[in-house]
Amino acid sequence: MQETLATSTLSVPSRSSISTQDKFSTAGQTSSTGPRPPRHSIVPPPSKSKGWNSGTKFHQMRRTIAEDTEWSLAIVPLLTELCIQHIVKNFQNNPLLKQLLPAHQQKVLNLLSPDLPLAVTANLIDDENYWRRCCTQRWPVCHVAKHGGSWKRLFFERHLENLIKHFIPGTTDPAVILDLLPLCSNYVRRLRVDQFLPPVQLPPPPGELSDSGSDVELEEPATDHYQLRDLVAGLSHLEELDLVYGVKDCGMNFEWNLFLFTYRDCHSLAATIKACHTLKIFRLTRSKVDDDKARILIRSLLDHPALEELDLSHNLIGDRGARAAAKLLSHSHLRVLDLANNQVRAPGAQSLAHALAHNTNLTSLNLRLNCIEDEGGQALAHALQTNRCLTTLHLGGNDLSEPTATLLAQVLAVNTTLTSINLSCNHIGLDGGKQLLEGMSDNKTLLEFDLRLSDVAQESEYLIGQALCANREAARQRALNPSHFMSPVMAKGPENPAG
Amino acid sequence: MNPPGSLGVLEEKEEEHLSTPILGPSIHSDNPQKRIQARRLRIAARPEGRRREVLGEYLDGKKESEEDRSKSYRQKEESRLKLAKLLLCGTELVTNIQVATDIREIHRRVEEEEIKRQRLEKLESEVKTSQDKFDEITAKWEEGKQKRIPQDLWDMLNTQQVHCAGLIEDKNKLIGELQQELKTKDDQYVKDLKKQSDDICLLLERMEEQVKNVMKTFRQELNYIEKAFEVERQELLTSTKKKWERALQAHSAKELEYLMNRIKKVEGYEKQLNKQRIWDWEDYNMIKIRLEQDVQVLEQQLQQMKATYQLNQEKLEYNCQVLKKRDEESTVIKSQQKRKINRLHDTLNNLRSKYAQQIKQFQEENQSLTSDYKRLVMQFKELQKAMRHFAVVDDKQFREIWLMNEEEAKDLMSRALDVDRIIHTHHLGLPWTAPEFWFLRNVGPLSQQPQKSATQILEEVLMQAEEEGMEETASEAESYLDLPKQISAKTTRKILMLLCDESGFLIESKLLSLLLPLEKNECYLLRLDAIFSALGIESEDDLYKLVNFFLKYRIYHSPSSQEQTSPMSALEPGEQTDLEGQEEESLVEGKPEEKEALPSPRLIHPNDVLKILEAFVMGLKKPRNSRAPVKLKYVQDNSKDSEYWEALTTVIPDTTQSLWDALYTGLEKYQSTPNCKFHPRRCSGCPRSRAGPRRAAVLGWTPVRVLVPEPPPARFAQGPAWDHSGFSRAAVIGPVEVRPLERLLVSHRHD
Repeated sequence: MQETLATSTLSVPSRSSISTQDKFSTAGQTSSTGPRPPRHSIVPPPSKSKGWNSGTKFHQMRRTIAEDTEWSLAIVPLLTELCIQHIVKNFQNNPLLKQLLPAHQQKVLNLLSPDLPLAVTANLIDDENYWRRCCTQRWPVCHVAKHGGSWKRLFFERHLENLIKHFIPGTTDPAVILDLLPLCSNYVRRLRVDQFLPPVQLPPPPGELSDSGSDVELEEPATDHYQLRDLVAGLSHLEELDLVYGVKDCGMNFEWNLFLFTYRDCHSLAATIKACHTLKIFRLTRSKVDDDKARILIRSLLDHPALEELDLSHNLIGDRGARAAAKLLSHSHLRVLDLANNQVRAPGAQSLAHALAHNTNLTSLNLRLNCIEDEGGQALAHALQTNRCLTTLHLGGNDLSEPTATLLAQVLAVNTTLTSINLSCNHIGLDGGKQLLEGMSDNKTLLEFDLRLSDVAQESEYLIGQALCANREAARQRALNPSHFMSPVMAKGPENPAG
Repeated sequence: MNPPGSLGVLEEKEEEHLSTPILGPSIHSDNPQKRIQARRLRIAARPEGRRREVLGEYLDGKKESEEDRSKSYRQKEESRLKLAKLLLCGTELVTNIQVATDIREIHRRVEEEEIKRQRLEKLESEVKTSQDKFDEITAKWEEGKQKRIPQDLWDMLNTQQVHCAGLIEDKNKLIGELQQELKTKDDQYVKDLKKQSDDICLLLERMEEQVKNVMKTFRQELNYIEKAFEVERQELLTSTKKKWERALQAHSAKELEYLMNRIKKVEGYEKQLNKQRIWDWEDYNMIKIRLEQDVQVLEQQLQQMKATYQLNQEKLEYNCQVLKKRDEESTVIKSQQKRKINRLHDTLNNLRSKYAQQIKQFQEENQSLTSDYKRLVMQFKELQKAMRHFAVVDDKQFREIWLMNEEEAKDLMSRALDVDRIIHTHHLGLPWTAPEFWFLRNVGPLSQQPQKSATQILEEVLMQAEEEGMEETASEAESYLDLPKQISAKTTRKILMLLCDESGFLIESKLLSLLLPLEKNECYLLRLDAIFSALGIESEDDLYKLVNFFLKYRIYHSPSSQEQTSPMSALEPGEQTDLEGQEEESLVEGKPEEKEALPSPRLIHPNDVLKILEAFVMGLKKPRNSRAPVKLKYVQDNSKDSEYWEALTTVIPDTTQSLWDALYTGLEKYQSTPNCKFHPRRCSGCPRSRAGPRRAAVLGWTPVRVLVPEPPPARFAQGPAWDHSGFSRAAVIGPVEVRPLERLLVSHRHD
C-alpha cells in the first residue's frame, strides 16, 4: 500500500519502473498460481476455503462412485499426507520440522504460508524455496545476486531496511526493530538504508508524508535520526553499511530540515562503526557530510581491523576531510576510497597524494567532480610514480590541464599496475593529448582511459583507443594462458624499480 | 582451440630440444669416455637436426592449413572483436550521458561561482552605499539634536524619513532582485529536474537499446559462429568419410585376399584330415579286435572271481554268525566283569581306608618306638657311664686287693727269705745273699702301668740328653725302658731337634717371643709341645710312630742319599748295626731283635721334613677317628698275672728247698732224740692255734735249732686253680693260702 501510494507521486522514470514492477508481479502471480491446481487435485488443501472445495469434491465423488470406472483407492489421501496437512495447519503453534523425514520436511515447507510470524520461522527454516516465496510475495523485484544468492538473507536484509527506513524517532517503538534482532542477526550481512526519517510533532504515517507533507511544519532544528548503535552491535555478521541521511520522495514538500545530518547522528554513527569489527564496506552518501563530520567519522575508522571500502561521495567534504582520509589511508587496509562529488581542492589532493605514494593497499581512488586542479593532479601523478598498487583512478571533472597531462604521460610509461584512468571533463588540451599518447605508447597494462570532453584532438584519442585495444588483447591472452605470459611479465618486474 | 598458444608451446619445446645436448657430456671434457660419448651424440644429432628442419616446414604447413581450416576460429575472433567493440561503444554511449551531465554540472558550477561572485560584489557595494547612507542619516541625527526650531526639525525629520525610505527602498529592491533570482532558480531547478528526468529517460532508452542491440548482435554472432562450425563440421565429415571409405575399400580388399588364402588352407587341411581319418579307422579296428579278446578273457576271470566271491561270502556269513554269538558271550562276560570291577572297587576303597588307618597306627607306633628308642639310648648311656664308673672302681678295688695280697705275699716272702737267711747264716753258717728278682720290686697290678704322655717322654728324652755326657749308662738303662722300640734316645732326640727347627711355623708367634729368654732345652721342650699339639700327637705311641715314620720314610725314599753317605747301610738296612748305634749295642744285649738299623737323622735332609710331616699327618688322621672308641674299651691284660704270681712262688729256689728238707730231716732227728712231746700232727685240726705254738717253739728254739723248716711260700701257688677275677680272689686267698702250707709241711714230714 505504502509503496503504491509513494509511487503515485513519482516522476517519469519511477513510473517506468512501476510498469516493470507490475509486469514482474503479474508474471510472479501467474507463475505462483500456475503449479497449484494440480497439487490441489492430489492433496486436499489445508486452508478453509480449500477445505470447502474438497468437501464439494467429496460430495461429487460420492455421487459418482457407481459410475466412475477410474475410481480407485489411490485417491484416498494417505495418513502421512493428512499428518503433514495438520502440521502445516498448526505450524504457528507447534512448529514440527526437524523431526520429520527429509521428504516430508520438503512437503511441509512447500505448503507453509509465507505469512507465518518470523519468530517461528526465522531460526527454524533454512529452506531457500520458502524464503523465496516470502520475498516474492512481499517485493515484486528481488535481486538475489546482490544478497549473496541467499533468499533468506535477502528477506531479512530488506525487511530490516524497510523497518529502519520507516522508523520515526520518538513515535515508533524502538522495540519493533530490536525484537527482530535475535531473529535476523545470523543472516544480515548488509544494511542499505537510503532514508532516515526525522522526528515530527504530528506523526503522519511515512507513506502519507507525500500527501500531507505540505501541512507538516518541521520547526525543530535539532532533528536526530534513528541511532544505529544497538542494532549494529547485535548484528554479528554485518559487513556492509550503506547509509543516506535524507528523505526520499519528498517532492514539493522539500524542506532543508529533512536532510540534516546532525552532530549527534555523526557521533553515534562514528561510535557504531568503530564498535562493528566485521564491517568491510561503509558508505555514507548524499548526507551533507562536511569536513568536521568527516573527520569525526574517519577518526573512528582509524586502525579498523576489517574495513576495505569507504564511500563518502556526494557530500561536502573539503581539504581537511581529504587530509583525514589521507591519514586513514596509512592507518587501515582500505582498498577503495570514493570521494566523488565533494569539495576537495588542491591541498586535499596533495595530502592524498602524499599518503598514496607509500600506500600498498588502495586499489581504487575516485575523486570525480572535485576541484583539485593542476596542483593536486601533479601531486597525484608524482605519487603514482612510486605507487605499486593503485589500479583505478578517477579524476573526471577536476579542472585539470596540460601540466598534469605531461606528468601523467610520464607515469604511464613507468607504471605497470594502473588499468583504468578517467580524465573526462577536464581541459587537457591538444598538446596534453599528444603527450598522453606518447606516454600510452610505452604502456602495456592500461585497459581503460577515458578522455571524453577533455579538449583532446580526435586523432590522439583514436590512437590511444587503438593502444588500449592492443593492451586489452594482450591482457586477454594473459588471462587465457597465464603460464606462457608469466615469464615476460616477471622479467619486466625487476626493471621497473630501476627506471 | 588456441593456435598461437599451442604454437608458442611448440616453440618452447623446440627450444628445450636444442638445449638438451648442451647439458650432456661436452667434447672438451677431460674424461676420454665422455668425449667419445659426446661425439657419438653429435653424430646422432645431425640427422635429428635434418629431421627437425623437415618438421619445421611441416609445422609451417600445418599452421597455414590451420589458418585455412579453422574458419570457425576466425569467425569466433571476428565476432569477439565485433562484440567487444559493440560493448565498448555501447557503454561509451551510455556513459556519455553521465559525462555530459558532469560537464554541464561543471559549467553550472563555474557559472554559479561567477554569479555568486557578482552577487557578492553587488551586495558588498550595496552594503557600502547603504552604510554610507546610513552613516549620513545617523550623522544628521546629531544635527537634528542641535536644531531648536521645530520647523527645521520637522524639515530635517522629513528629509531623514525620505532618506530612510530611500534606503529601505534600495534594500527592498535588492531583496526583490534576489527573490526574482530565487524564483528564476526555482524555475531552473524544475527545469533541471525535468532535464534530469529526460536524461534518465534517455539513459534508460539507450540502455534498453544497448541491451537489445547487444542481444541481437550476440545472437547473430552466435548464429554465425554456429554456421561456421557447422560448415567446418560438414567439411570435416566429408573428408573423414572419404578417408573412411578409402580405408574400408582397402580393408575389404585385404579381407578378400585373406579369405582366399584361408580357403586354400582349408582344402589342404581337409585332405590331411581324410588321410588321417582312414588311418585312424584301421587303427581303431585293430585295437577293437584286441580289446574284444581282452574282454573275453576278463569275463572269464570275472566268472571265476564271482565263484570265489560266492564261496567267500558264505564263509564270511558263517564267521559273522560265529562272531555275533561270541559278541553276545562277550557282552555277558563284560557285564560280569563290570560287576566284578565294581566289587573290586568297593574292596579297594575299603582297603584304602584300612591302609590309611594302618598308616596312622604305624606312625603312632613308630613315634612311640622312637621315643622308646631314645629312652633306651639314654638308659644305655647312663649304663655305660655306670659301667665306666664301676670299671674304675673295680680297678681301684683290684689294685687294692692286689696290693693287699702282694703285701701279704711279700710279707711271706720276706719271712721266708729271713728264714732262709737265718738258716743260712745261723744254722749253716753260710753267707747269704738276697736273691734278685724283677717281681720283687713290682708294686701294683701289672696291667695298670700308667701310660706316659708325649711331653713326659720328651722331657725325659731331653733331660737324658742333657745328662748324657755324665750318666750315660744309667740314663740309657732308663731310656731303654722308656723307648723299647728299636730307636735310641739320641736318634729320637736328634729327630725331634730337627723337627723343632724345621716346623717352627706351627708354633704361635706369641709363644716364640715368650720362649726367647728361656734356656735351650726348655725352649725346645715348649716348642715341641706346641708342635705336637698342632700335629695332634698326644700319647707316647704317637710319638714313637712319628719317629718311626721318619726313619722309615728316610729308608724308603732316600736310598740314594744313604748310598752316598753310608754305603754300609745301603746293603742291609734291616740287620746292619749302625755306626752311631755302637754305644747302644751294649744296652740292647737282652733283646737282639732290637738291634735294628737306626739310620742317622743327620741323613734326613731338612727340606724333607715337611714332606714327611705332611705324609705323617695324612696317615695319622685315618686311624685317629677309630682310636677314640678303642681307647674307651678297657681291656684287662691278665696273661702276665699268673706268670707274676707263679714267679712269686719260686722265690725260694728248689735247691734251697732241698737244702731245707735235708735240714729239716736233720733237725727232726736231732729233735726226736731229746723229746718227742711235740708232734705237729696233733695240732692239725686248728692250723692257727697250731701255728702259734709251732712258731713259738721255733722262736723259742731259734737260738737252739736254727734248722726249723718254714713252708716255702712258693708252694702256695700249687694249690687249686686260682680264680683271678677280682672279687672272689680276696675272699678265697686266706684259707687257701694256709692249706697247702700245711700239706707241704705234712709232705715234708712224710718225707
